[in-house]
Amino acid sequence: MNLTKSFTESVSLWGVYSVWRRHVDVYRVTWLSNLLPPMSEPVLYLFAFGAGLGPMIQNFDYLGQTVSYPQYLGPGMMAVAILFQSFFEGAYSSYIRLTFQKTWHALLTTPLSYTEVFLGDWLWAATKGTLGGFITGLVVVLLGLYPWYALLLSIPILILGSLLFGACGLVSAGLVKTLDQVNLPTFLFILPMFTLSGTYFPRGNLPGASRWLAEALPLSPIVDFLRWPLGLPEYWPWQLLWLICMVLMAAYWGWSAIRKKIFL
Amino acid sequence: MYLSAQNLYKTYGDREVVRGISFELFPGEVLGLLGPNGAGKTTTVGMLYGLVNPTKGQVTLGTWDVHRQGRQARQYIGVVSQENNIDPDFNVLDNLLTFARYYRVPVAEARARAELLLKQVDLQDRAKDSPEDLSGGMKRRLVLARALINNPKLVFLDEPTTGLDPDARQGFWRFVSSLKEEGRGVLLTTHYMDEAERLSDRILLFKDGMIVGGGKPQEVIAQEVGQEVAEVEGVAVGMLEDLAAKAGTWSYPFGNSTLVVLPAQAEPLWQALVELHPSRLTRRRANLEDVFLRLTGVGL
Repeated sequence: MNLTKSFTESVSLWGVYSVWRRHVDVYRVTWLSNLLPPMSEPVLYLFAFGAGLGPMIQNFDYLGQTVSYPQYLGPGMMAVAILFQSFFEGAYSSYIRLTFQKTWHALLTTPLSYTEVFLGDWLWAATKGTLGGFITGLVVVLLGLYPWYALLLSIPILILGSLLFGACGLVSAGLVKTLDQVNLPTFLFILPMFTLSGTYFPRGNLPGASRWLAEALPLSPIVDFLRWPLGLPEYWPWQLLWLICMVLMAAYWGWSAIRKKIFL
Repeated sequence: MYLSAQNLYKTYGDREVVRGISFELFPGEVLGLLGPNGAGKTTTVGMLYGLVNPTKGQVTLGTWDVHRQGRQARQYIGVVSQENNIDPDFNVLDNLLTFARYYRVPVAEARARAELLLKQVDLQDRAKDSPEDLSGGMKRRLVLARALINNPKLVFLDEPTTGLDPDARQGFWRFVSSLKEEGRGVLLTTHYMDEAERLSDRILLFKDGMIVGGGKPQEVIAQEVGQEVAEVEGVAVGMLEDLAAKAGTWSYPFGNSTLVVLPAQAEPLWQALVELHPSRLTRRRANLEDVFLRLTGVGL
């Protein structure tokens, strides 16, 4: 009860909005250089693996349905866009604002509370992830690999995934001591997810324990949910629960790690 | 509305960096916090506006507790921090407008206020420029303008002129004086003694996280040192100590020189110093730096 009271007293919608809006305003100035390189990545993978590798792979069975490889790959690339856009916004951009530009410190001289600044950054990372996932989704829809109505209905999944990876990015920003150290979570956490979570091939193909490890990776349920037009695994409610738990845990961890960094 | 710091302590691990600081700052007053690097000035300032949580003690601004009611307290505070934490992605004017939003200043009012402030700090012609294109002095003035966007009652200036050339420092001082004239309380931390002496109505001397002295600059100088001092080079320290002791004053070696305080009847001691034929001998008015040498044994 006290925690809820303290949270509502230290958080106002205006405060969160004004921080989020600051990031939107910066993005409006720098959108071209910010949007194109990361957005081109999943689209390039889609093209390279879909058009280049796709013809060499026969249609296969996914949850009882026969699918082509590009059909399978499309939602995977939407998940990759979410992952990259939201994680790197949280991990790199927030770290730069925190350590080099001292934007967080500047904001905290105003009536904004720490939690508002954190939520503003987190929601912005999630906004970028959602946008990235949606734009990649549009390409996937235009290629005829995903129904358009499914893209619209998938927006809550895009948001949930972006919240998760945005929070993971903020955990990284709070824990690393130098910009180079962001390579650690990138190579130990992001790249394994990018490759093993069912983005390029079914996780069931993985041998032994590595399959169960891949199942536990946070991107796995996102990829499965984005393939909902093809069906959902039987255990999807557990995946959803796991996802929500991870969002809450990552957000709290990020909040606490950055707080320790600022309020020495 | 006045600021009150009551018995502030700050500990990092085993290290106590602030130890029992208490003072008050009133409207229209410039209070200078002086001390060598590591004396606890910046940590104290951080505690005053809520960025550093005190291990013990309380800070109030008017009726607001800065740490429990930070949102309300910071509505009346403007901060010029040590770093130029300006948004490099916004132009000069947008930096102010974005900050005004955090204070919920209505858009039209914010624009009018931002334009007025840019005029006051002589940046009206640079409104559309990127902050990256501004000189060091201009950047500091922009940070000052940003700190005033909410029309604060209290302004914190943390090492505001570090790294500026003498011209830019003089310019900045003019703006600080105008803040005082407008009835705002100003808390200035600096390690430039001339800056503190010129701007502060009252000073507090910090050493090892404690206040070791304070008062009006001229009174502190007169009380702790006197009117005049000599700087002597090329004479044995012990000899100067003896001469000073005979005249009822004191001496202090610093760098290659020794500072010898001249008594009210200065001529006999001065003549004695001249007769030693030192390689360098300078006579000047005592200043805050001499006070600092006396109180802390640390040159600034």
